[in-house]
Amino acid sequence: MNSLKTFLILIALMASTTISTATPEYDFYICAKVNRDYVIGSKVETVNGVFKRGDDGSWNHQGYNDTTLTAVAFDPRDRNVVYTSANNGLWRSLDGGKHWRICNDWDMTEARHVAVDPNAPDHVYLSLPDGIAVSTDRAQTLVRRENGLPERGKYTQRVTIDRTQAGRVFAACEVGVYLTENGAESWRCVLPTKEMVDDIQQSPHNSDHWLVVTQSAGAWSSQDRGLTWKQIEGVPSSHALYNITFDPTDPQRLAIASWGLGVLTSEDGGKTWQDRNAGLPEPHRVWRVGVDPDGRLYASVHKQTLFYSDDFGRTWQPDTLKGSLVNYFLTLPKLAQ
Amino acid sequence: MLTLASTGTALAQPAFEAGPPDRSVIEDAAQRRAEYEARVNEVLNWRASGAMVKTDDPGNLGLAVVACKLALGQDLENCSLSVLKAMEEPGTGPFWMFPSVCVAYLGRESLSPEAQASIRDVWRTTRQLRGDTENHWVMYYASLYLMSELYPNEPAETWYNGLTSEENLAESKAFLIDWMDMTTTIGQGEFNPTHYIGEYAIPMLFLASWSEDPEMRQRGKMMLDWLFAELGNITLNGVMRGPNSRTDEGSVIERWNSLSSYFSWVLFGNTPPTKGYGGWGVYFATVAKNYQVPEVIYRLATDRKEDFVQRDRARIRRRWRYSEELSPPVYKTQYLRDDYAVGSTTGGQLDPIQAHAWDVSWDEPDPRGKHNTMFSLHPNSSSVAMQMSFTAYPEPWIKGVTNEGKPSYDSPDKVVGSSPFEQVFQDLDTVVALYDIPEGTRFPHINGFFSKDLVNITEDESGWIFAQGGQTYLAYRPLAAYHWIPYLHYSGGWAKEKLPIGGQLLTSPHLKNGTIVQAASVDEFANFEAFQDAIHALPLEFNLEPVPTVKMTSLRGKQISFTFGEAPQVNGEAINYANWKLFEGPHLNAEIGGRKLTITHGKLQRVLDFNTLTISDTVTP
Amino acid sequence: MNSFKSIKSLGRAFVALAAISLTQAQPSYEAPPPSLEVIQDAGERRAAYLARVNEVYDWRFSRIDAGGPPAKLDLAVITMLLERNQRIEECNQRVIEMMETPGTGPFWMFPSAIVALAGQDKLSAEARASIRKAWRTERQLRGDTENHWTMYHTSLYLMSELYPNEPGETWYTGNSSSDNLKEARGWLIDWMDITTTIGQGEYNPTHYIGEYAIPMLMLATYAKDPEMKQRGHMMLDWLFAELANVTLEGVLRGPNSRTDDSSVLQRWNSLSSFFSWILFGNTPPTAGYGGWGNYFAAIALHYQVPEVIYRIATDRPEDILQHDRARTRRMWRYSDEHMPAIYKTQYLRHDYAVGSHQGRVSDAIQSHVWDVTWREDDPRGKHPTMYSLHPHSSGRVMQMQFSAYPEPMPISVSAEGKPSYDAPDKLVGCSPYEKVYQNLDTVIALYDIKPGERFEQVNGFFSKDLVDLTEDKSGWIFARGGDTYLAYRPLADYHWIPHLEYRQLPSDAGYKWARDSTGSKVLASPHVKNGTIVQAASVSEFATFEDFQKAMIALPLEYSLEPVPTVRLTTLRGKEISFTYGEAPIVDGEALDYTEWKLFGGTHLNAEVGGRKLTITHGRLQRVLDFNTLTISDTVTSGK
Repeated sequence: MNSLKTFLILIALMASTTISTATPEYDFYICAKVNRDYVIGSKVETVNGVFKRGDDGSWNHQGYNDTTLTAVAFDPRDRNVVYTSANNGLWRSLDGGKHWRICNDWDMTEARHVAVDPNAPDHVYLSLPDGIAVSTDRAQTLVRRENGLPERGKYTQRVTIDRTQAGRVFAACEVGVYLTENGAESWRCVLPTKEMVDDIQQSPHNSDHWLVVTQSAGAWSSQDRGLTWKQIEGVPSSHALYNITFDPTDPQRLAIASWGLGVLTSEDGGKTWQDRNAGLPEPHRVWRVGVDPDGRLYASVHKQTLFYSDDFGRTWQPDTLKGSLVNYFLTLPKLAQ
Repeated sequence: MLTLASTGTALAQPAFEAGPPDRSVIEDAAQRRAEYEARVNEVLNWRASGAMVKTDDPGNLGLAVVACKLALGQDLENCSLSVLKAMEEPGTGPFWMFPSVCVAYLGRESLSPEAQASIRDVWRTTRQLRGDTENHWVMYYASLYLMSELYPNEPAETWYNGLTSEENLAESKAFLIDWMDMTTTIGQGEFNPTHYIGEYAIPMLFLASWSEDPEMRQRGKMMLDWLFAELGNITLNGVMRGPNSRTDEGSVIERWNSLSSYFSWVLFGNTPPTKGYGGWGVYFATVAKNYQVPEVIYRLATDRKEDFVQRDRARIRRRWRYSEELSPPVYKTQYLRDDYAVGSTTGGQLDPIQAHAWDVSWDEPDPRGKHNTMFSLHPNSSSVAMQMSFTAYPEPWIKGVTNEGKPSYDSPDKVVGSSPFEQVFQDLDTVVALYDIPEGTRFPHINGFFSKDLVNITEDESGWIFAQGGQTYLAYRPLAAYHWIPYLHYSGGWAKEKLPIGGQLLTSPHLKNGTIVQAASVDEFANFEAFQDAIHALPLEFNLEPVPTVKMTSLRGKQISFTFGEAPQVNGEAINYANWKLFEGPHLNAEIGGRKLTITHGKLQRVLDFNTLTISDTVTP
Repeated sequence: MNSFKSIKSLGRAFVALAAISLTQAQPSYEAPPPSLEVIQDAGERRAAYLARVNEVYDWRFSRIDAGGPPAKLDLAVITMLLERNQRIEECNQRVIEMMETPGTGPFWMFPSAIVALAGQDKLSAEARASIRKAWRTERQLRGDTENHWTMYHTSLYLMSELYPNEPGETWYTGNSSSDNLKEARGWLIDWMDITTTIGQGEYNPTHYIGEYAIPMLMLATYAKDPEMKQRGHMMLDWLFAELANVTLEGVLRGPNSRTDDSSVLQRWNSLSSFFSWILFGNTPPTAGYGGWGNYFAAIALHYQVPEVIYRIATDRPEDILQHDRARTRRMWRYSDEHMPAIYKTQYLRHDYAVGSHQGRVSDAIQSHVWDVTWREDDPRGKHPTMYSLHPHSSGRVMQMQFSAYPEPMPISVSAEGKPSYDAPDKLVGCSPYEKVYQNLDTVIALYDIKPGERFEQVNGFFSKDLVDLTEDKSGWIFARGGDTYLAYRPLADYHWIPHLEYRQLPSDAGYKWARDSTGSKVLASPHVKNGTIVQAASVSEFATFEDFQKAMIALPLEYSLEPVPTVRLTTLRGKEISFTYGEAPIVDGEALDYTEWKLFGGTHLNAEVGGRKLTITHGRLQRVLDFNTLTISDTVTSGK
C-alpha cells in the first residue's frame, strides 16, 4: 500500500521532470547540524551538513562538513549537480559532492534557502537575509532580482517554487508572502504580515493548495495557487511556527513545528489540530518537522535530537543521528541503480 | 576572544606583573621605536618560551607559539613539526584562518616544504566559514586575500571554496575595499570595541606587511592609523573610555581589562598589558616590526595638555530586518580630562547583545582590578532585537547567547547592553539618561552601577547620591525610587555562575525613569562638601509623566532641557545630530562621505586620504 | 680654505683610522660585495639597516680598547657610547679633556653639538659644562663653502635650542641664545629654499653628501621645533632620493659639483658609497665606514630611508633618464650671474651609466663634468670610467668663487689637499673651454681652449680595467669595460701617457704626495681646438665586439675643428645630432632649450623650478616632499 502511495507522490513531486519514476523507491536527505554549541572559530568536532538516509535507516554524510547548511537542492536532470545554502552563501557541486564552488560574492551571504525550478532546471533561487538572488545558468552567476520587494522588509526565509509553472515562485519574507510569475523579474505581495513568514509549502496532492506558517500570525492556507489566503483556525499565533509539512501519503495529514507548541498535527486537512508532544522531551521546542514518502513523521527537537513517529506523532522514538538539529528535509526519487 | 581574557600561565609576564608604566611622554623618536620593539619582544619571548602550551610535546606547540618562534627565528624544526600537527585538525572560520596565514607567511623561508604544503592543503580540504559579524568578515577576507596572493595562479580545485586564486583575490579585495569605504564614509560598525579591535588591527597589519599589491599594503597601513588614532583619542592613560559597540561584563566595569589595553600598551606604553598579552594580541606582535604608530597618534594617546570634546559618528551593526535603516547612525560624544572621562551615545538599540551606551570613568594610578566607572542602563533582553541583526529564529537566541560567551544577556541585574527604551544626552561632564519602558517589557527596571572603588558614597536628602572615585567627584541623581542589590559578576564569557566581587547596583523598578550624572575634578573644589553644595545649588526640574523630562543647569553653566523622544536643548538651542561630522574635535576631523581623516596634535598633522591612498604628514605653522 | 684646527687634527685622525682599520674587522668592507636582492619586507629592511648601523658601532667599540692611535675616544665614538648608554664616566672624562682644546669651525662644531645633544641627559654636569664653555670661549669660523655653512648653522641652531635664554656673553658670537637661534634658522631655511627652488650648489657630491646629511639628521633627531625636525627629515629624503637615482648598484655616477683625484676614477671610493651601503645595502662601505660617516651611523637610528627611495636605488626594472637642474658655486665676481644654472643629464642602464652637465665652470677646483661608467661586480679598486677634460688652472676663475687674491691660490690649493690642481695631466676639474652634450648613451665634448691658457691640451682617461682596447684605423678607439662596449673618438691627434695617482705621505708640515703608476693611462691631445665623442652600449646588445665596432663605424659622422669645433652625427640610438661649440645642440633638427628644463624631470624625480616640491616615484609608490606646507605625502597610485 505504502509503495503505491509513494509511487503516486513521486509522480506528483517530479511531475515535470524527466527522471524515471518506474521505481517507487526514493532518497531521503536532511541538512543537519550535529555539532552542538558551535561558535565561529571553534573546532568542528562532529560531522555536519547533508546526510542521506540509507536503506538500514543510518545516515550517510554527503560532501563537506559544514555546520551552517540551511537547505539542499538537486538538478532534477542530474543528481550530481547539488546546491546548498549556507552561511557563506551558495555552494554548488557538479560532481556529486566531490568538489564544491562558492557561487556568490561577499554581498550575498548567510543564505536561508535554495531551490531549483523543476520546469527550468538551470534556474536557481537563493533566499537571503536581504533579498533574493537568482541564477539562470546553474549558479555560475547570481544576480539579485528584487523588483517589487520592499526596500526594507525583504528578509527572505524561504523560496518555494510552484511545480506546475516555470518561474512561479513564492518568497516567505519579513513583511509577507511575495509571488513572482515571471522568474523573479517582478514580485508582488499576496499575503502581508507584520513579522516573519517562516515557511511556505505546496501540497503534493493538490498543486493549488498552499500553506504558510509565520512568526507571530499563525498559519495560513490558500486553495487558489497562493493568490488569496485564509488564516487556519486552531493554530495559535501565540508562538512562532518554524515550518509546516504535508504528509505525502495522506492529503488530510499536516504537521507543524513550533517553538513552544512543539509538534502540532492535523489529520483532517487542517480543520482541527492536535498537540503531539507526548514522548518528546520538554520544553517543546521543535525546530523542524518532516514526513517521508512512507508516512514517517520526523521532529527535530532543539538541543535534543531527531525523533521519528510511525503513528503520526502519537508515539516517538529517537533517531540514530544523535544530537542533531535538522534544518531541512528533502525527498527525491531514488536514482536507477 | 573572551576565553582568552582569562588565560593563565606560570611564566613571567613582566609588564603585566610590574607596576603601572611611567606616563611621561617620550620625545625621542628612536627611543619610542626602541621601547615599542622592547614591548613587542617581551610578548614574543613570553609566548615563544612555552607559555600556554598545552602539551609537553615540542612538536605540538600550537600556531600562536609557532608564529612567535618563527618571528624570533627559534626552534624551526619543531615549528615545522607543530604546523604539521596543527594541520591535522584544522579549525574553521576566521579565527583559524588568520593564524594559519600568519604562520604561512612568517614561515615562507623557514618552515619545511612539508609544513608549508600542509597549510596550503588544509586551505583546499577544509571549508572555512565567513562568520556573521563584521570582524569575522575582515579576518576572513584579509586571510583569503593573502593566501591567494601567496599561492597565485592555482586552480579552483585547490581551494576550499572552488574558486581560483585570482577569483579569491578579486572577491577578497572587493570586500576589503568596500569595508574600508563604508568605514571611512559613515563610520565603523564595531565602534570603540574593547576586544574586537584586535580582529581589525591584526588583519590590517597582515595586509600592511605582506600584501604584494602596494595599494593593499597602503590601505592596511592607513586603516591601522585610522583605528589607532581613534583608540589613542578615546583612551585616558591607555584605558578605553565611554561607549562601546561591543564589550563584556568584565571590561564594562574593569575598564582596563580588555584587549584594547594590550594595544595601548604595545603602541603607546601607557598602561599595563592584559593577562597573556591579550591572547590574540600575540599575533599582532609577530609582525609588529612592520608598523609603528606615528608620532601624532602617539601624542594623542600620551600627551594631553588640555581637556577635549570629540563628537563622532559611527553606525549600528547591520540590520537584516525590523528596521527602516540598514545601519542607522550612532552619535558619540567623548569628553576627556586629566582625572576622568565622560562618553556616550544617544542611547537606543545599538548592538543587540554587547553594547555599552555611556559612562563616567575616572583615572586610577593602577587601573588593574579597579571598577572605575559609573553608568546606568535598562537591562534589555529581546529576541526581536536579535532578529534584527542575526539570521536566526528569535526564540532560541536568548538562551543561546548566554551559552555563547554572553552569560548575562538574559539577567535582570546585567550591566551590559543597550535598550530602545533609553535615550541619552551628554554635555561635557554632565550626562542625562532617560528611560521610557513599555509595559510588559521583560525587565521593567533600570540598573545603576556603583563601584567598590567609590569612596564616601553619600545618599543625600536632596535626592543626589555623591561619591568620589580617584580624583573625581561624582553626583548621581536617580529620577525614581530605588533600592540596592549587590553586584554579582560573571567572570568570563563562559562562566556559569555569578560571583560577588564588590560594588552594588542601584535598581529602580519603574518604567518611567532617568539618571543624571555630573562629574568634576577634586582639585576644582576646596573639599567634597563644596562640590555637594555646588550640585545642590544647580537649578533642576524633572517629570516622569507623560514621558521623562529634565530641565537643569549643569555644573558648567549650561542650561539643558531633555525630554524622552525629543531633541535635547542646550541654552535654548536644539541639538541637530544630522549636522554631525564623521569626526569632529581638536584631534580627529572628517566629513561624512569624505574618506579622509585629519589627525592633529599641536603642530603635527597626519591626513589619511583614502580617495588618493595618500598619507600626508604636515607640521603646521 | 679649510683653515680649521679641527680639519688638521681630523685629517691626521683619519690617516690613522685608515691604518687601524686594517687591524680591526670591518666585515662589510672586507667581505665580498653584498647581495643585490631587493628586500620586500619592511621589517626586514629595517632590521638590515639596523644591522649595518650596529656594524659601525661594533667596529668603533672594538677599537676603543684595541690600542694604537687613536686609543682615546673621539667625539664619534663618544656619541655612540652615549646612544647606548655605555662607559659614561669615560665619556665624561674624555669630553672634558677634549674641550680643553676645542676645534674651530663646522668640523668641530657638529661633532661637539652631537655629543652635547646625545649626552644632554647622560653626560655629567661637568662634561656638559665643558662643551658649553667651549662654545663661549672658542671663536667658530663659518667657513667658505655651502657644506660648511650648513654644518655651522645647524650646530649653532641646535646648541642655541639646547641652551635657551642665555645671554650674549655666554656665546662665542656675542649673541644671545634666541639671536643665535633666529640667525641659524634664517640661514637654514634660506638654504633649503634655494635648494628646493633652483637646485643644489654642491650637487652630486662624492664626499660632501655627508656634510649635508649629517646636519639634516641632527635637525631631524634633535630639533625641538617640530617644523625644523620636519625640514631636516624632508631634506634627508631629498638628498637621498637624488643619491639613489644617480647611483648604479650603490656607486655614484656622472658629474659631481665637487670630487677628488681618487673618487673620480675609482668611483666607488667615496663617502657616497658609505651612504649607499648604510641606506640601501647595495655596495660595500668605504674604509673606516666613511670616516665622517661614523657620525651619521651614530644617530642613524633616528632615520630610515623610505621604501620609494630604497627602491629607486635597488629595484631597477627599467632604464632611468633624468634631466635636472643644479647651480654652480656662488660667484662673487667676474660673472653676470650669482649662481648660474647647471643642466645635468643622467642615463642609467643595467650595465652602465652616462652622466654629464653642459660644461662650464661649476666649482673652480673639484668639479667633474661628465663620464661613462660601467658596472663592476666588485667596484673596489676598479676604475670603471671613461671621460675627457681640459686641465684648467686659473687664478682668475678661483677669484670668481673665493674672496682671495688670485696669485697664491693655484699654489695654495695644491698644498691644501688638492695636489693635482695645477698639474697638466690632472683628471679633475671643469673648464670654461669645454662644452658637453649628452643624448642617452652618446656624449660629445667640444673644446675651444683660448690660446695662452696654462694647459693647452685635452686629457682622456683610459682605465686599467678596460679590455680589448683597439685603436681602429677609422679613428675610433674601441674597448670593453665590464659588460659595456665603449667607443671613444678623439677629434685631434693624441699620444698616451701613464696615469700617475697621488699617494699621501706622512708629514707634520702640510700635505706631501708621491705619484705612482696605476696601470691606467691618459690620452693627451695637445690641441686647443678639440673634441671627444663617446658612445656606450651593452654587451648583450651585440653578438660580438666586432659587431659593435661595425655598427659604430657605419654611423654617419662629420666634424670640423675650425673656426670652432663642430660635430654632426647619428647616434647608435638613431638620433641625428649637430653640436657646435658655443651653440645650442640640435637633435633631429630641433635646438635644445635648456631654459625649459625643470628642477627635476625624469623617471623617478620630478620638480618644477621654484616649486619647493619634489615628487619621488617608483612604480606605484610616490612620495611628495612639499616645503611650501612642510608636508610629506606617501601615495600608492592606481597603476592604471
